[in-house]
Amino acid sequence: MAASLTAPMALADWTQQWLKGLPVVDGRLAAVQQRGREALAELPVPSSRQEDWRFTDLGLLAGLDGTLASSPRDAGLPPGAPGVLRLVLDGRSDPLEGVALPAGLAPLSDSELSQALGHTLAATACEHHWPVELNHAAAQQVLALRVASRSSLSLELVSTQAAGLLPLRVLLVLEEKAELELCQFASARGAGLTSLVLEAHLGRGARLNHGMVALGRNDAALLAHLAIEQEPESSATLATVAAGWGLARFEPRIRQVDGSASTTLRGLQVVDHRQVADTHSHISFSGPEGELDQLHKAVAAGQGRSVFNGAVRVPREAQRTNAAQLSRTLLLSDRARIDTKPELEIVADDVKCAHGATVSCLQTDELFYLQSRGIAADQASALLKRAFCEEVLRDLPGAARQWCRFEHLLASA
Amino acid sequence: MSTAQAVGDLVSQPYKYGFVTDIETEKIAKGLSEDVVRLISSKKQEPAFLLEFRLRAYRQWLQMQEPDWATLGYPPIDYQDIIYYAAPKQQDKKASLDEVDPKLLETFDKLGIPLSEQKRLSNVAVDAVFDSVSIATTYKEKLAEHGVIFCSISEAVKEHPELIQRYLGTVVPINDNYFAALNSAVFSDGSFVFIPKGVECPMELSTYFRINSGDTGQFERTLIVAEEGASVSYLEGCTAPMFDTNQLHAAVVELVTLDDASIKYSTVQNWYAGDENGVGGIYNFVTKRGQCRGDRSKISWTQVETGSAITWKYPSCVLQGAESVGEFYSVALTNHRQQADTGTKMIHVGPRTRSTIVSKGISAGRSANSYRGLVQIGPKAVGAKNYSQCDSMLIGDQAAANTYPYIRSQQPQAAVEHEASTCRISEDQLFYLQSRGIGFEEAVSMMVSGFCRDVFNQLPMEFAAEADKLLALKLEGSVG
Amino acid sequence: MIRPDAPVLLEIKDLHARVEDKAILKGVNLTVRAGEIHAVMGRNGSGKSTLSKVLAGHPAYTVTAGAVSYRGQDLLALDPELRARIGVFLGFQYPVEIPGVSNLEFLRVATNARRAEQGGEELDTFAFEDLVRERLNVVQMDPAFLDRSVNEGFSGGEKKRNEILQMALLEPLVAILDETDSGLDIDALRIVAGGVNQLANADNATVLITHYQRLLDAITPDYVHVMAAGRILRTGGKELALELEERGYDWVDQELAAQAPVPLEVA
Ligand SMILES: Nc1ncnc2c1ncn2[C@@H]1O[C@H](COP(=O)(O)OP(=O)(O)O)[C@@H](O)[C@H]1O
Ligand SMILES: [Mg+2]
Repeated sequence: MAASLTAPMALADWTQQWLKGLPVVDGRLAAVQQRGREALAELPVPSSRQEDWRFTDLGLLAGLDGTLASSPRDAGLPPGAPGVLRLVLDGRSDPLEGVALPAGLAPLSDSELSQALGHTLAATACEHHWPVELNHAAAQQVLALRVASRSSLSLELVSTQAAGLLPLRVLLVLEEKAELELCQFASARGAGLTSLVLEAHLGRGARLNHGMVALGRNDAALLAHLAIEQEPESSATLATVAAGWGLARFEPRIRQVDGSASTTLRGLQVVDHRQVADTHSHISFSGPEGELDQLHKAVAAGQGRSVFNGAVRVPREAQRTNAAQLSRTLLLSDRARIDTKPELEIVADDVKCAHGATVSCLQTDELFYLQSRGIAADQASALLKRAFCEEVLRDLPGAARQWCRFEHLLASA
Repeated sequence: MSTAQAVGDLVSQPYKYGFVTDIETEKIAKGLSEDVVRLISSKKQEPAFLLEFRLRAYRQWLQMQEPDWATLGYPPIDYQDIIYYAAPKQQDKKASLDEVDPKLLETFDKLGIPLSEQKRLSNVAVDAVFDSVSIATTYKEKLAEHGVIFCSISEAVKEHPELIQRYLGTVVPINDNYFAALNSAVFSDGSFVFIPKGVECPMELSTYFRINSGDTGQFERTLIVAEEGASVSYLEGCTAPMFDTNQLHAAVVELVTLDDASIKYSTVQNWYAGDENGVGGIYNFVTKRGQCRGDRSKISWTQVETGSAITWKYPSCVLQGAESVGEFYSVALTNHRQQADTGTKMIHVGPRTRSTIVSKGISAGRSANSYRGLVQIGPKAVGAKNYSQCDSMLIGDQAAANTYPYIRSQQPQAAVEHEASTCRISEDQLFYLQSRGIGFEEAVSMMVSGFCRDVFNQLPMEFAAEADKLLALKLEGSVG
Repeated sequence: MIRPDAPVLLEIKDLHARVEDKAILKGVNLTVRAGEIHAVMGRNGSGKSTLSKVLAGHPAYTVTAGAVSYRGQDLLALDPELRARIGVFLGFQYPVEIPGVSNLEFLRVATNARRAEQGGEELDTFAFEDLVRERLNVVQMDPAFLDRSVNEGFSGGEKKRNEILQMALLEPLVAILDETDSGLDIDALRIVAGGVNQLANADNATVLITHYQRLLDAITPDYVHVMAAGRILRTGGKELALELEERGYDWVDQELAAQAPVPLEVA
């Protein structure tokens, strides 16, 4: 891994080199590619001097081969739930080719796509973020789906990143009262980068239940933006579990456009070795009576670094907002580090906003209690770690729950 | 009138300390240069080491960038438009209070700080600082009997240069930040406290700061040292007249505790806050830091911040000694266009160090009240513990309450816990109190001081009432 | 105790009130004389708590018609704290919690406000502690509750006892107790009822809001009123409560459907 001081330089060079090596702009996303490339040529690369990247070293990227990966389509994927449509995202081919979509699910037409693509990124103020522009510059395919009003569907999205870059772009439009359970699996089988940009627009009364399991490796990186716009009475649940990545950065960006919606965020990130995991969540309430229930958990072992930054914005128009954020970290090694920074900005006076954070190792009292019942120390600590993670794992929907066994997560931690 | 509006009106009280004392003042010309630094030093007849200290700081300051605060909006400060030294004209410091200009005594009387022998509190020694100089320190002799040194820092420079040289700038280095560097170059006066080994200071010590001139900056410097096993409780209070210009107040406070020593430092800050449109008021950019150098030592900060147009202040503790303890208890009340960005840093270095943070922010009007804190657990801080609690009370729907509690930890055998909540004064709570015969004003002020109780409980007895009164004053008024 | 010549303390005439846009009280009439104990009964939602809050001056309720006089004075014109100071007391159905405000301090400030109104002198901390300790006996309350925040973390029964303690300290002339019996176990009920009986005398009056007979077994009312749909539908003696207990409230619905509003005069 590059030393952090040289990283911004190295990353800037890497970016410029990488831009030169990209194929010419082409296809449905030509305009998007063009804008991303122009933006990246200008944008300063993330560095510790920017508040949003203060604790997160992107040095790993600068050592990667940035050519577009040719992902294996069916290697090592977990079993799906019976009867649930599974789409394989390989970054190259059209994920809908040869697929019969169930009733209630339809691809967006080109004109709809050009209207909707990027809308939620702009609404959640992340369209110019460096990882988003990187995705813009490289994305070859977009999975753009509409869930029809009042229909209720389940879907699985799976991807495996080989060596190189895997850009993934997803756009979901949930019409009024539509329901979608979306299980997403992202894994890495080579030194490379998975770049994910997912946008979802939830119409009035719509429900999205998104569960993402991302299992990486030390030489792979994941940069994910999950941007959600919620109309009143909609509900969005995002549960994300990430482990094993050399670098993983998640940015859930939620905007309740007129308030009165409910948002549930669950995150679990596990770092070991020299891994870095970073979640920067951002929730803004642009109307009254919105709800947020956020729980972020992290386990840091080895020389891992875990970063959590949770912004909650409650402006004047967001009266009677009820927001709760809790961040809990298990620090398991004296060479691991954690940085936690909740950011609450509140102007409305009639609101309930609570947040809390804890950082600790396993509780000696709890360990002792288990041991006093005859359980061996290592078994007891495994039980407690498991219980710690379970609180997030149990909120994963459908098949995702099976994809992510506690044993995978903490193989070494 | 809606409850929220009525509560809002209640916190919009006229400032009662806004008068100007008409007294002849010796001022130097506006502006800052190396010559000005030398002039200040020579006016104070300082030894060479201190001039050297000031010049080094000044040169550092020239190299530094004024911080560009993300959430604190204010027009640029013209550092050449400030007077760096102003003193009421009187010959030297008086041996006896009876010789002090009666106008000055009267000023402090009006502020509720009687300096004359017969009126003063029997168990509190006071150092009174007017613009750039200390005009009187009470009970010096009595304290001296116990070996306690309590005097203005200028006097300490003359009488105890070795102590100043040993400790000044060791907790807040001259290049710590822009305003600390500026202070180190031009600091005028402030208090010096030295509690020798094993001595428990026999009375409360207190310094009262008064800015009187409209174009003068106040750059006070306070240094408190508690040797092994010593303990002291110290309080500062601050007011300023109303001017429609902004005055800069850039203080530096350094605290040092050796083994088993403890310092309790309380502040009641009520600088002029500007008017309801944000015109005038003090820019309060302060660096306060304590270093628990010794094992089992303790530093406790308590602050009640109600004034200033802008406050930027993070009284901090560096917990070096094993089992040392840091505490921060804060009430910050902002109204109109006031901006307060305050909090603390608890830097856990030594093993089994403990810290507690209790912050209560009350935002009214169009003000912004931010808690910004850092709890850092270093790799050697085995068994360290922190507990933080940050509560905000919002009055009206145009004030902002922000909370930014950073936590960094590199030590698994440590526990950090943070909790935060937001509340307002509910109509039902007010009605409940009113239906028992308690008037609206009193009900609001009871609830606000109830909200702040955990912090007020930390103030020394003599001052808890003063803080309550101050808050009540801010809350008292025009109920329709 | 009914004495026709006793002075009228409270007189409610054709009282109408709404909250937001919803009309709740639709013509309440009630006269209360010194020495009397009234019970107001009725189904949930009939407007009993609303009536009590309007009398105490809660800002959420707007009086749209009618009048209330208290000892000849226009009660509705007064701020809530003034009503309390001149002797109108509301025991809340749901007493609120006020974190941070010490119960003892609260009781002292309230008691002194009432005393000042009566021309009495202010009690200092010590004198007040003596008084409060004596009054604690009325409700057999543990002095430890004095050191806690107002109602914070109190159980339902403890809150109700705290209400009666306040009544014992403020010595009101008209006490309106809204469902003071709800959430109490038998012992607590006996204590609370004992407290109310102890405080009742020939110069003051009590209005008990309840929908259980069991409180009325312990405190014998002179009058029982049945409230429905924002009005007092029927008034009788203590046997009316027994009748309600036996027959339930269904007849009230029938009567409501059958009858046009009939204003009822008491005593
Ligand atoms: N603050 C309020 N806001 C809206 N509706 C209310 C409010 N207070 C009372 N109500 C309504 O008024 C009616 C009477 O309520 P209440 O006086 O509490 O009845 P009771 O005490 O007899 O059970 C109910 O329908 C209740 O829902
Ligand atoms: Mg009721």
